[in-house]
Amino acid sequence: MTDLSILRSFSFMVSADDLDLVEREQMPLASAMSAMSAMSVMSARTALNRNRNRNRNRNRNRNRNRNRNRNDTANTAVTGGILEPWEERAALYALRDEWMNLPLALPPSLPELRTQAVELLRKQVLLAQAPHAIRREEILIEAELELSRYLRPYGIETHGGYDATIALMLTVLALTDEIGLYYKARWNVPRPNQVEPRLRPFLPAPAHASYPSNHAFQSFAVAFVMSRIIPEHPGSSELFQSARRIAENREWAGVHYACDTAAGHSLARMILPVLEKVLERQMLAAQAEWL
Amino acid sequence: MTETRYDSLWHLVALGVLTPDHDPDGWLPNDVTRPSRVVMIDTSVAMDHPNLQGAINRDLGFDLFSTRLGAFAGLRDADRIGDLGFGNAAALVAGLPGCEALLAELMQRLCPDQPPLIDGVQPATGPVFSAHGTAIAGLIGARPAVVDRAAAHLEDDDDPTVPLPYCGIDPTCEIVPVSTNFDDDPEQLILAFLYADLVRADVIVLPRGIPDPFRRTPELFATDLGTATLGQLVLPCPVPDRDRALWAELAELIVKLSLRRPIVCAAGNENEDYGIYPASLASDDNGVIAVGAVNAKGWPCSYSPGSGLTVWAPSSDGTRFDSAEVRLDPSDLRYDDHGIPANHQNARFSHYQIISTDVPGQGGYAASPYTGPEPADGVREYGSFFCRFGGTSAASAIIAGLISLARGLGQIACNADGVEAKAWLLAQAKAPNPAYPNLLVPSLGGRGYKAVGQ
Repeated sequence: MTDLSILRSFSFMVSADDLDLVEREQMPLASAMSAMSAMSVMSARTALNRNRNRNRNRNRNRNRNRNRNRNDTANTAVTGGILEPWEERAALYALRDEWMNLPLALPPSLPELRTQAVELLRKQVLLAQAPHAIRREEILIEAELELSRYLRPYGIETHGGYDATIALMLTVLALTDEIGLYYKARWNVPRPNQVEPRLRPFLPAPAHASYPSNHAFQSFAVAFVMSRIIPEHPGSSELFQSARRIAENREWAGVHYACDTAAGHSLARMILPVLEKVLERQMLAAQAEWL
Repeated sequence: MTETRYDSLWHLVALGVLTPDHDPDGWLPNDVTRPSRVVMIDTSVAMDHPNLQGAINRDLGFDLFSTRLGAFAGLRDADRIGDLGFGNAAALVAGLPGCEALLAELMQRLCPDQPPLIDGVQPATGPVFSAHGTAIAGLIGARPAVVDRAAAHLEDDDDPTVPLPYCGIDPTCEIVPVSTNFDDDPEQLILAFLYADLVRADVIVLPRGIPDPFRRTPELFATDLGTATLGQLVLPCPVPDRDRALWAELAELIVKLSLRRPIVCAAGNENEDYGIYPASLASDDNGVIAVGAVNAKGWPCSYSPGSGLTVWAPSSDGTRFDSAEVRLDPSDLRYDDHGIPANHQNARFSHYQIISTDVPGQGGYAASPYTGPEPADGVREYGSFFCRFGGTSAASAIIAGLISLARGLGQIACNADGVEAKAWLLAQAKAPNPAYPNLLVPSLGGRGYKAVGQ
């Protein structure tokens, strides 16, 4: 049975910084202000806001008042932004039983891959045409998984003050790179140009196996992690679109089948709870930059 | 001098749910014979929050974030999910082939012999990153609580306990959290709504938008650029035919479901006319309820339109500085007189904010006032249990809770459908502000919104 009697005896009073626990019987409501300082039985230092932006829950936690220029925008390649995340890798391997046997669908058979490769041939022809110049540029930029495509949905590409968010993204990319290689090695699916020799990939096909696409897996992993940290931010849905475009560009480049993209997405979704355990501290630090 | 401190439950007093003395205003918890069931489709919830004990149905909590067909986090130690008493949604999906197929898959997954987790995939329901859902759940159904002093991390005192005098608008209800990610994935949302029907929700609350590429800004698809519409051309990736069909079915499903059960939607925080999708589906003949935000003084919150929605509910205000309105907070230390036109509306600004339950400890919206980090386990003191919250998310949660309470009290018949529940809501609504005659705020008993902090 719901007991509301506590509400009659005690009350929380809100001020600019604090939440004060007040005994209500002693609090004449008509003169609450004057009574308050005497009557507060406890006034814990209860900052209800962690920092300056009070409007955070209204999807406005974007980047106001953060106009410091970042001077190291070039320094965001996966290998350039952070130190080797050895602690996170150790934590990841401590939880190996939780991620080494996720139920990723088996890769398609070779005849099915040949069918999917026909679509890649179509994309190859279209990519050479003028309307796809932008996509060609994107493919070249994204070959190295630089961060601009992940930062742009949040509008923080040129803003300072998001170091923890950037470090988190780089760490997610580093850890998922390794996890993806583990799954690739299990099935050793040939790259599209090995199945369909008429494909002339726009980029050199990497030396490791095709399924799942690590570009898809890594990009979607970043999106799922951000979806846990700041779900209400409009950029968090947009980031999935950005990830999807990055993944699809690898199909246009002729280095991945559509099934690789789908598997990368699926793996990223399933592995999020593990990443959340491994990276809790880093995720909290990133979240603090937005709240 | 302006009174700067205020009651953390001001919104419940304003809505006639509590008296200023915090007694139930014209009702008693004992009057509720059958607690209402509220399904919230949002993020996960920190279920161990002391004020949420008894509020969350742990067995039915369903996670779609990481598992395509859903995981039962609260049953993870069980071998099988058992008979959870699901209903029948066959009639709901009639004529929607994509939804029919998904319902068939879902019903298989919900068989009593199914495991709580599928093939070892864990649910994404860890409490640390559950801030939004925890605040929503608290606004709807938090209960007053007493915790041990040690649990509140306060120093020893004669009294070994600490009261936490906070409650949601319906402290008798039962909440079923359905947690989702924010991928633009129609399948996930269809499954969430189907599940809400299967568990026989009395109220469904969606304190978020849905990133449907075709319905988010529909006018883009009406702009023809020759080879294709603007909407098609700006899509980063073409939407597969199946997804396109599912997005269309989802919109139909929401409307059809709303005829059975009221669906309370946040209308958005950026002055969107008629609300964001799917709040924008609200119409006179369905049970979709688009909720805007009204501040403590009775003005639409600066981020919420003053007309074009179903109802408004109290929320935290925000500042605004644009051609439509200049509403700033002169008590803000950063307030600057320069450039402020004479016809500003600063007097409309209210500093009253919505307080709700927060993830205890390091996570959540409010972590710690101390310079050092929170302890790895537990919290420094009870303040970490609560946070400021706001937006139309908060307003939609409050309306969902109001419907839930009315249903529990029998003011809405137990067999009422979504349209009837919405009609009850509108019958209780009045416009608190003559300047905004269409801004309707419902209250318990229909006695009108008691504005405060004028």
